[in-house]
Amino acid sequence: MTQTPSSTSPSGKGLSNKAIARIFTVPGQVVSVLVLVMPLLVALYMSFTDWSPTRGSLFDAFFVGFENYSELLVYDTRFIYAVIRTFLISSVCLCLEFTFGLGLAVLFMRKFRGKSVLFSAFLTPMMILPVVVGYIFWMLFQSNGPINQMLEFCFGAEAAMEWFKHAPTAIFAVIITEVWHWTPLFFLILLSGLNSVPENPVRAAVILGANPRQVFWRVVMPTLKPVIIVAFVIRAMEVIKLFDEVYMLTRGGPGSSTETISLYIYKLAFNDFQLAYGAAAAFLVLVGSLLLVHMLLAPVRDQLLEGDN
Amino acid sequence: MHDKKLSPVQTVIMGLALIIVLFPVFWILMTAIKPPTDWNASPAIWVPSEPTFVNFQTLFDPEALGKYGVGGVSQPATRAVFGSLLATIVSTTLSVFIGLFSAIGISRYGNNSKSTPLVILSGRMFPPAAIAVPFVIIFSNIGLIDSYTGLIAIYVAVTLPFSTWMLKSFVDDLPRQIEEAAMIDGRSKLAAHLTVTIPLIKGGLFATTMFIFILNWSEFMFALVLSYSNISTIPVQLAKYVTATAGTLYGVQAALAVLAMIPLVIVGYLIQGHLARGMTFGAIKQ
Repeated sequence: MTQTPSSTSPSGKGLSNKAIARIFTVPGQVVSVLVLVMPLLVALYMSFTDWSPTRGSLFDAFFVGFENYSELLVYDTRFIYAVIRTFLISSVCLCLEFTFGLGLAVLFMRKFRGKSVLFSAFLTPMMILPVVVGYIFWMLFQSNGPINQMLEFCFGAEAAMEWFKHAPTAIFAVIITEVWHWTPLFFLILLSGLNSVPENPVRAAVILGANPRQVFWRVVMPTLKPVIIVAFVIRAMEVIKLFDEVYMLTRGGPGSSTETISLYIYKLAFNDFQLAYGAAAAFLVLVGSLLLVHMLLAPVRDQLLEGDN
Repeated sequence: MHDKKLSPVQTVIMGLALIIVLFPVFWILMTAIKPPTDWNASPAIWVPSEPTFVNFQTLFDPEALGKYGVGGVSQPATRAVFGSLLATIVSTTLSVFIGLFSAIGISRYGNNSKSTPLVILSGRMFPPAAIAVPFVIIFSNIGLIDSYTGLIAIYVAVTLPFSTWMLKSFVDDLPRQIEEAAMIDGRSKLAAHLTVTIPLIKGGLFATTMFIFILNWSEFMFALVLSYSNISTIPVQLAKYVTATAGTLYGVQAALAVLAMIPLVIVGYLIQGHLARGMTFGAIKQ
């Protein structure tokens, strides 16, 4: 690369800002194009074919138009249920994680001994691998596991159950696992939000005679709002991808009653080898999530882009 | 609201929450040191009477369980441990290195397009399963399936938005004037960044590296669909143990799970102040 005299910046010598920006960001862009954009194009192409691994090369595929898509959207109830289920599980998880995280964060605004040790302890779950979290809760929910043991101790022998044999309890187990794993993230984010609430408006409200509840809802919550939205958006982006924990806990069972979108696509493509159909499902989900993420991000756009030029 | 103490009721709530948070961790640690006789006892045994490290030994020497008269695991975890270390270390290094330059590029010379960051963010929203399908098709066509090269390429691609965005938030925090001073002293922009910017965000660089390490070490699905016989990682091995042995080798599985989580818990405590920043792409600072 030859050095050209800078024409734009008064300080420094060498390359122009534009050239530097390009050199610095090119490797990242190359990686993104090669490893994210290209596969997407391949998936798009595949989704209009009936290709399967037995057919040999990608180019031996036979075009079927929108057949895969119409099949998915109209006839494939398993796919439609997986989508609905993923959204239901996600919403329940997010609400519980937010409630518990906020409760804990509010407690941490008070004074008590051993605060820093407890703070670290409460963050532990989010530092554990999703697969391991899934495995741990799979053990806890075994029919002779500790959860049943505690239930028997409290409510008698008939309280114990086969958690993974029935749809409602299996979904319950998935939700509990997910909430245990990710409440700490809400706690962490909300605590840092609470800590940055300015003290003066709070004091002023107290002097003006507001009770603690009014102070919380009228003064603290409005300042906390952007932080809450960021937390929700980020968690929503993650929870929609739910796979590892469910794979370890139930493999989607019993039947397909705990299948998430990710798990269904995984089974389609890698258990049943319906790669073209799987690619169509994958592409639908990609477009759907793209629309969703842009909707979710709209209110926090500026927050996330803060500090930009 | 900052100076009140915990009321008794709140203390009890806090205590209960602590038990709920720590119990699963306690359970996996206890299971990992249970001898085979305690593995699947009914009712379950909470604290093993004779703690042992035989489960950990079995991971690397399948014969170790012989003295209990129990058949060992069919496959030692050695290869998975090696695979996890290799894939994680190489991809973390690459991701942070590329991300560092992208971060400086975006933060200091930004491409004024407001949508680029959102496009990158959207990239994180895609369910891995949706990306895995085309990957497997492409990789099997160009011979990268079942290879560490392929796995590392995916790891770099999926963690790059995180490393770029987290590092960008650290560069943003640094006043431009410091670099400009170095440039006025006659250094080129590149030299100014190498000698001023990068040393000044050392702490952030460390936190980012550790955060990307956590992401790569935890990754499960890509490794699951890309590995057949040549490569393996710890999460994949754990899932295979659970399937293959149908829950009969609780202790050994738990030992592998503990082995998988120890480095992450240590790293996690080291950077706990930055975890939120990483998870939220730098939108939440602490």
